[in-house]
Amino acid sequence: MEYKYQMKPLLKERMQKLLPDEQDFAEYERITHEETRSYIRCNTLKISIEELFSKLSEKWSVKQPFPKHPEIMLVLSDLMPGELGNSLEHTLGYYYIQEISSMLPVLSLNPEPEEFVLDVFASPGSKTTQIAAKMNNTGTLLANDLKIERIKILSSNTEKCGVTNCIITRNDAINLCGNLSKTDFKFDKILLDSPCSGEGIFRSSPKTMNIWNFNVIKGLSKQQKKFISLALKCLKKGGTLVYSTCTHAPEENEEIVDFALNNFPVKIENLSLPLKSRPGITEWNGKTFHKDIIKCARIYPQDNDSEGFFLAKLTLLEELK
Amino acid sequence: MNARFIKSSEKKEILNELNEYYGVSKLPYLLIETGRQRIRAFSGSLSKEEILKLARHANIEIIGLYLASKRDDDIRLNFDAVSLLKDQIKENIVEIDEKQLALWIRGFDLDIKYKRGPVVIKYKDEIVGVGKSNEEKLFNYIPKERKVRTPVPSL
Repeated sequence: MEYKYQMKPLLKERMQKLLPDEQDFAEYERITHEETRSYIRCNTLKISIEELFSKLSEKWSVKQPFPKHPEIMLVLSDLMPGELGNSLEHTLGYYYIQEISSMLPVLSLNPEPEEFVLDVFASPGSKTTQIAAKMNNTGTLLANDLKIERIKILSSNTEKCGVTNCIITRNDAINLCGNLSKTDFKFDKILLDSPCSGEGIFRSSPKTMNIWNFNVIKGLSKQQKKFISLALKCLKKGGTLVYSTCTHAPEENEEIVDFALNNFPVKIENLSLPLKSRPGITEWNGKTFHKDIIKCARIYPQDNDSEGFFLAKLTLLEELK
Repeated sequence: MNARFIKSSEKKEILNELNEYYGVSKLPYLLIETGRQRIRAFSGSLSKEEILKLARHANIEIIGLYLASKRDDDIRLNFDAVSLLKDQIKENIVEIDEKQLALWIRGFDLDIKYKRGPVVIKYKDEIVGVGKSNEEKLFNYIPKERKVRTPVPSL
């Protein structure tokens, strides 16, 4: 079948290697050309789940697909373009439009009230606002990004969601974590939702297929190792770091977690996710990864009618100097 | 960090003004003043001293939520701060109907006569924004990026 955007041959070859079953790959390829479903997350800082569900049910068919996470809602109605973003409830910040797989890192991080939490790459703020809601605007949330344009988007979203416990910083992640690691500011939890090659977001950003480049993956992989090394130094002993990307490339995923497991006193935790996930892979292009890498989660779009994602949850066993 | 922590005596003055205009009686936040007389509210656990210490190691851009601004001798609540304080707001509330709401959320001013000064706009049980009355008209202060962009429906 001819699509407007096509996977480059090397990308296709790599994805076929990750998905060796022909039917599975065909299903993956097909779904990457379909639009995503309309997931929203109730902003519990502004409205109760019950109240929002009741209001939205008056105009749309809405369901709460995950009993353990009732704040996550799926709008089943056929919507006009932009309809979700133009409702009164959206204007008032009662819900956040967020793809389901992008909600998983914060569900895994499980931030709690009164904690000290760092979101290293925070913009546009979907996960930052999700963290703040979980913390019920208590504790302190440090949300960082690099560029002023991204900070503006981030702050616009934290304002819209009524976030009051957040300090937004504008720093290069390496400098920020490097500087903080030398202080006594140690975090209970860190979300490292790293910049990545975006192979998981072809459905919402099909142009990513055209700009895909293996050299970018190699460069990102080096950077991601620096990010995780420095971020771990900002954690308290016993603290949690969730590493996530929206890509399938093992160089940006298992290789980074493998690097952390082999170089730092960390253990990898089992994940309990509301979506179907596949275990991390233990071998890729001649490299063998740590046996516990299977505890990482690979989210493939064809498994859940979602975007693609990768995540791993690490606990720091002793504070790093 | 381009911000100043508001002293407790100033906080008292701000609270008095908010009380006078809107009936707000509690502000359980650390208040910070940034450029253009904007007041921000921070509910986090870090103290003033810890924030100042943090600022020596990180470039802090924004703290907390934009609560209100002081302009022309008025204290004007920010659009998103209204929902933060909605249980406390009791004064200067203007209730609008469905037709007026359709205009309001699209950024139009409303031809409603009300006493001069800042107002809070309510539709049914929702507070749907803030504005200012010149006695003839309610001026719409919904931020540009938050206005609904669809055409006004015929009701």
